[in-house]
Amino acid sequence: MPTQEQNQKFIVPIGPQHPALKEPGHFEFTVDGEIVTAASVRLGYVHRGIEKGTEDRTWTQNVYLLERICGICSHVHVTAYVVAVEQLAKVQAPPRAEAIRTIVAELERIHSHMLWLGVAAHEGGFDSLFMYSWRDRETVMDILETISGNRVHYSANILGGVKFDIDDQKRDFILKGLEFLEERTNHYMKIVTTDETFLGRTRNIGTMTKEQAIELGAVGPTARASGVTIDIRDSAPYSAYKTFPVNVITDETGDLLARFVVRIKELLESYRLIREILDHMPEGELAARIPRRIPAGETIHRVEAPRGELFYYVKSGGGDKPERIKVRTPSLCNWSSVINFAVGHKLADMPMILAGIDPCFSCNDRLIKIRRANQSQVWTWEDLRLHGIEYYR
Amino acid sequence: MDMAVKTPSSPMQKVMDGLRAWARINSPWVIHYNSGSCNGCDIEILATLTPRYDLERFGVKLQGSPRHADVLIATGPVTRQSRERLLRIYEQMPDPKFVVAVGSCGLSGGVFHGCYNIVGSIDEVLPVSAYIPGCPPRPEAIIQGVVALLQSLKPQ
Amino acid sequence: MDLDKVLLEGENLLQPWTVSTSRPEENRSDVVVARENLHAAVEAIKDAGWGYLTAITGLDCPAPAVAEGEPAPEGNLELLYHFCNGLAVVTLRVSLPYGDPTLPSVCDLLPYATLYERELIELFGVRIQNTPDTSRLVLPDDWPDGIYPLRKAFTGFAAPATEEKE
Repeated sequence: MPTQEQNQKFIVPIGPQHPALKEPGHFEFTVDGEIVTAASVRLGYVHRGIEKGTEDRTWTQNVYLLERICGICSHVHVTAYVVAVEQLAKVQAPPRAEAIRTIVAELERIHSHMLWLGVAAHEGGFDSLFMYSWRDRETVMDILETISGNRVHYSANILGGVKFDIDDQKRDFILKGLEFLEERTNHYMKIVTTDETFLGRTRNIGTMTKEQAIELGAVGPTARASGVTIDIRDSAPYSAYKTFPVNVITDETGDLLARFVVRIKELLESYRLIREILDHMPEGELAARIPRRIPAGETIHRVEAPRGELFYYVKSGGGDKPERIKVRTPSLCNWSSVINFAVGHKLADMPMILAGIDPCFSCNDRLIKIRRANQSQVWTWEDLRLHGIEYYR
Repeated sequence: MDMAVKTPSSPMQKVMDGLRAWARINSPWVIHYNSGSCNGCDIEILATLTPRYDLERFGVKLQGSPRHADVLIATGPVTRQSRERLLRIYEQMPDPKFVVAVGSCGLSGGVFHGCYNIVGSIDEVLPVSAYIPGCPPRPEAIIQGVVALLQSLKPQ
Repeated sequence: MDLDKVLLEGENLLQPWTVSTSRPEENRSDVVVARENLHAAVEAIKDAGWGYLTAITGLDCPAPAVAEGEPAPEGNLELLYHFCNGLAVVTLRVSLPYGDPTLPSVCDLLPYATLYERELIELFGVRIQNTPDTSRLVLPDDWPDGIYPLRKAFTGFAAPATEEKE
């Protein structure tokens, strides 16, 4: 039976299966009328045990396993892993390979941000923006498919380099696509910053100050929207970012609107960067040879995923399999922030606020489940389930 | 899976059955659950609903509640934690109901096979009517799988 | 190059508690500290505003096999606290024996460390004192107690994990 204290509050559970969430996560919002007074999140429905899995697979097999940590940011996961292994093996990928990696990473950022723009608009009840942005996103999917052969897991990286080249024909195709996307992105920027109904749902909602962002360890666009200047591409440049620097985009306001603006500006920055790299493509080989057994040692590599800083720790014992791979994904860092700034807002704003950090359940559920033990129930799940089946038969 | 609906012989019942089959084929409502996938399949399923592919022209509508759904589109290998949840969603759906497994790991565990938190493929937990392979399958493949399922429901 | 300066600054901050320091790569510095000094070391880094805690990696280092008759040495768990500042990474390394894997929490200094610490509790069986939340975090509800999947000794379940099949 519910205890006395629990009778005082009303808890709204959302998920793990919920129309607003395309992936499983379970949230509990304690509400007082319409206002959320406490929030908790419980993930773990997609925890697969990948870190352990890497220990039974060879270095090459892990390229494909780690790519499938996340379907949205698959390329950056592999990039982080592959570069770390190259560091251990003291192999330097050829400059052309690094340029191609970076182009694919930026294309992936474009696809991820456009996906997010659509989903976030959908959470806000703005379905036409969702449909438009997903229609336009198909342009970047076409580009990725043309250069790599697959729409989602591109498998661009191999240990020591990349698998495919970007020739002139593909280059022209990319440039043509970017032109269209740029025009559309400017249009979205106009909509997001001028549409009154949309502004009503984003302005001054879910505000996080710079101090809070640092305190709570937010990363990526979520942190940058609060004025924190962290972008691994800039502060610890890797691959082609050393030669082609990025401009870090920040915003001072820290509300949902700022998160939209930052991500849309990042789209424009990605277009610029891809064009610049394509104009100055280094010539040369696509891959360097890498030994099957990686010398013993440990290394760290950090990359900027679409959602923020992605951290890889790789330890080799000198064999053909890694001894330990540790992955720390950006969504994990952002959860603690969202739970904090959700408090005080209306329940109806919750989907928007949750979407605002661009959560990626697969990414963090490879490892994480957060849970609060306040499920007091007389019935077991089994009883409830049977009751439900009978009731609706 | 057994598609036969129990048909008492009254003529009225026959008409009703025909009507029901017609409605089901022309407007199946689907629900989507990710039981441990990497997201790749999920974004492709979402992409099939957006203008380029537009699954809705087959009358397919993505539904929020399992109570309203006819077809469960499940993605990913089944993890130990989500197994219970997947079963619950399935059991909440009204009969008759169908399951479509999308993606290599939903079919066999795929690249995650052998990871400690994986129970196995979707058909180890639920009866699956249609399998759509691919990692992830293209939206066209997903459409084809769903349409094939709908075709199989047509009364002979 | 100022990368070296940044690293040196980090090392100097940790000087009072350092057992040993090494530079495995040009942008990394490994600082070994005793576990009772970990909290103070983290506090020094935090107060100086040197970078931020990026991740805590757990490592399982089982004891090497020994010849028969000799007493088996005890294995270790090793925790790596990675602090990043631009390109520079300073790693605090703390070693814990299997017999007594306890460690003070750093959550009072860095609130976001709670997720990382709970991960360690569950996957490695580390006992972290005063961590604000110790409820089950990573593993499913039906996971047996006392099994830590990321320890090397765990090699998967012998039988299929779910006995009752529908």
